[in-house]
Amino acid sequence: MADLETQDRAYRNINQYFIERGFGPHYTELAADLGLPPDEGRELLREVIESGIPAWQHPGTDYIVSFPPFNSMPTQYRISVDGKQGWFAQCAFESLAVRWHFPGQTVRVDAPCLDCGEPIVLEMCDEELLSVEPEGVVGYTYGEIGGSPEDRPYR
Amino acid sequence: MNFFRSEEHARNWSQWNPEAEQQLQPLEHYAERFAGEMFRARVRPDFMSWLDEQRRQREREQEGK
Repeated sequence: MADLETQDRAYRNINQYFIERGFGPHYTELAADLGLPPDEGRELLREVIESGIPAWQHPGTDYIVSFPPFNSMPTQYRISVDGKQGWFAQCAFESLAVRWHFPGQTVRVDAPCLDCGEPIVLEMCDEELLSVEPEGVVGYTYGEIGGSPEDRPYR
Repeated sequence: MNFFRSEEHARNWSQWNPEAEQQLQPLEHYAERFAGEMFRARVRPDFMSWLDEQRRQREREQEGK
């Protein structure tokens, strides 16, 4: 088990990789960035993912699927930052947390309504919700937020 | 965890479950919830250490009850 300082470095590296590219690193990249052998990078990635944060890898692989608030795998929650589309949010609710990763920048969420397919568009900057189209947008989940513990793809 | 254009749209969704009605909330409710300390802390350079300390603190509080 890596010490907390090493886990901090790994978390910071993964988060920054998402911010810069819109998808997560392979463990060999994480290992190289941290000066570790590949296998140690793989183990460290798994430790961070399985630490209890709502992140997960594709089952049976070492590939990052989701690292909140981001998703490597496309979702219907498309994120643009200062006009550049390049990220996907893990879910609707996590799309509202993407702004903390881009301070001072305008974060836009484009998503379809799952009932009618018509667009929903939000713009945020730091503390401010700049615009919501249409008015009256709601959030809803039929399960416990984060999913029920037994079905949750993460601990 | 999804957005809908209105409450009516959410209730009309094929996967609407009335037992989870309390989780139908205005966007502003979730915007505030996802503005909490945990979500902002993810950009801390020491996030894993911070998270570990939060857990220890919760455990201490639970033990103190």
